[in-house]
Amino acid sequence: MRRSPSFKDRAAAWLPVLVLSPSILAVFVGVYLFICWTAVISFSSSQMLPRYDFVGFAQYVRLWSTPRWIIAVENLFIFTALFLIVTIAIGLVMAILLDQKVRAEGALRAIYLYPMALSFIVTGTAWKWILNPTLGIQKVVNDWGWQSFVFDWITRPEVAIYCVVIAAVWQSTGFAMAIFLAGLRGIDNSIIKAAQIEGAGLPRIYLSIIVPMLRPAFLSVIVLLSYISIKSFDLVLALTNGGPGSATEMPSTFMFSATFRRNQMGVGAASAMMMLMTVAAIIIPYLYSELKEDRNGH
Amino acid sequence: MSTFTKVLMATAIAFPMAQIAQAEGKVEGIHHWVSESEVGALKVLTDSLATKGFIWEDSAVGGLSGANATQALRTRLAAGNPPDTMQLLGYEGVEWANEGALRSLNDLYAKNGWEAAIAPAIQPFVKAGDDYFAAPINMHRQNWVWANKAIFDKYGIAEPKNWDEMIAAGKKLKENGVTAFALSDENWQILEVFEAILTDQNGTDFYKKAVIDLDETALSGPEMIKAFDTLREVRGLVDDGFTGRDWAVASGMVASGQAAMQIMGDWAKGEFLAKGMKPGVDFLCFPTPAATPNYKFVIDAFGVFKKDDAAVAGQDAWIETVMDPESQKKFNMIKGSIPARIDVPVDGFDDCAKRSFADRDAAVNAGTMVGGLTEGFAAKPQFAGVFSDVVGQFFVSDMSSQDAVTALVDGINNAR
Repeated sequence: MRRSPSFKDRAAAWLPVLVLSPSILAVFVGVYLFICWTAVISFSSSQMLPRYDFVGFAQYVRLWSTPRWIIAVENLFIFTALFLIVTIAIGLVMAILLDQKVRAEGALRAIYLYPMALSFIVTGTAWKWILNPTLGIQKVVNDWGWQSFVFDWITRPEVAIYCVVIAAVWQSTGFAMAIFLAGLRGIDNSIIKAAQIEGAGLPRIYLSIIVPMLRPAFLSVIVLLSYISIKSFDLVLALTNGGPGSATEMPSTFMFSATFRRNQMGVGAASAMMMLMTVAAIIIPYLYSELKEDRNGH
Repeated sequence: MSTFTKVLMATAIAFPMAQIAQAEGKVEGIHHWVSESEVGALKVLTDSLATKGFIWEDSAVGGLSGANATQALRTRLAAGNPPDTMQLLGYEGVEWANEGALRSLNDLYAKNGWEAAIAPAIQPFVKAGDDYFAAPINMHRQNWVWANKAIFDKYGIAEPKNWDEMIAAGKKLKENGVTAFALSDENWQILEVFEAILTDQNGTDFYKKAVIDLDETALSGPEMIKAFDTLREVRGLVDDGFTGRDWAVASGMVASGQAAMQIMGDWAKGEFLAKGMKPGVDFLCFPTPAATPNYKFVIDAFGVFKKDDAAVAGQDAWIETVMDPESQKKFNMIKGSIPARIDVPVDGFDDCAKRSFADRDAAVNAGTMVGGLTEGFAAKPQFAGVFSDVVGQFFVSDMSSQDAVTALVDGINNAR
């Protein structure tokens, strides 16, 4: 005999929808509606205030003929590539070393993870002083007696972007390490033992078995680090403020100054749309392939 | 007005209405004065307002040279809840006046004869069309040199009369191992130096043509190249640790004798006075050297927003407080600037301020008073931004003067 669903059952079915709907609404308005609004503005002649006319791709043309924007886009690619590769490499090596049952592992883990607890503003300000040739590393080494030592990247436009990479890597490596470490702990020891019985050496075990098994950890790290690199606004602001001479400008700092400081809301909106499309172009295929394989695999 | 209404409608959906009831006898104002001397100066005005029977409701939004306060204002206007009054910088006020958001102050100007009390050069920043929309409280001068007197005396350097002498003095200091200029790689600080060179070498008429009218012939002329050449000379007289240096840190270098000079507006004066130094005795202040002296102004002004009739009495009382000569005097003695009114007596001000008064009178008579580009009183923000980009890039790289001029012209044309 089928009994009609009780109030409790019906409530149980509706409760998740009820609880989630405010946040879904907030995300819809706060994210997607404003993405649409930004798109509209990017096709208008808006300057200090939004104007709802249509000028076609004029703001995009203007954007791509602004040298500062070209620098910003180049910087984003240099920064993202180096930041991801270096952070993942160092983070992975540190995780593997820490996984060798070293003493005081908990304390070491906390020390490496600590920079993540700092705001990028703090990291940026500290590294601004560390990298300053008359205050930081260069001065210390010079005072030790190595007079000819020069480390003045932060003053040189052509290499200043690497300073931003250094600071960002310093902050995020511990975080990558923690995720990889969690991934390593999740790997069944019997697999390693089996490989050892088969006669595989330790490097071989790591390269061919363990690293491929860390795939989910790689996914998390790559997605999280890419979004850190795209919103690296505060780090750049504190470390170099886009300088010297626009050399470390990023799309996010460009967007901010165009929209809020230079009365070029249309150009700012166009740059925001370009950023959105860049992120989408990278993240969507990656997520798609990863999630699809995951479904097929299980 | 129609655009403005659309803004209201579009954004009102997004921003929840936060209607604050208009209390009787209150005047609410947005400003970005948060440092100690600024707060102290503002208190002079609010105390005076209190004697007129109105209480000041403070909505300070500090940070980013006023950009945060501007953001706050836009949100408030969009939500249909403007403040009674707002501190307006550069072209900000003109834009709001053109949108029809600001109330005309013509009655007050006519009643009190204020038109004659302000310098004609600042009119574009307080008047749109036929309507006065703002009352200026103070005037800063941008083109100052702050110098360490002990260093000048030690190496026998006198106040330079032109940029050649200035550079020669700098080279002499460098030979003796002294950093001539305390400067930063921040674009705006470099732009202050560049626009001083440009105006001092070529006069205010050229400055108006190139920077305010953005005339392409003037912008690509030999005068610009020469100004960049001179800026390149200044680059050679700056120390290596100039990255990311705050302007106040640079002032501190001059005060402590680590550097000889800083080119900066007169907000730097407070840094010297705060260390107990006296003008003429411990430090020197003189305008950037020019054949024909010029005066680069920066003003703060207050406008009042259109609200219901109940707000008018308080708003008028506030504007009259701002324009009161005695209030302006007390306010500016604390803030370090000079009164925007040109008819306030100089007695009681320090020697640097007295020189600022005298130079301003001369500049008003000679017609050599112009707005400062760096602080937003010459070209509109989208063009001023191009100037600061190019000048900043030029200063930190080995770009040639010709390339800089080309980049400048291209950038300006792209932003038009």
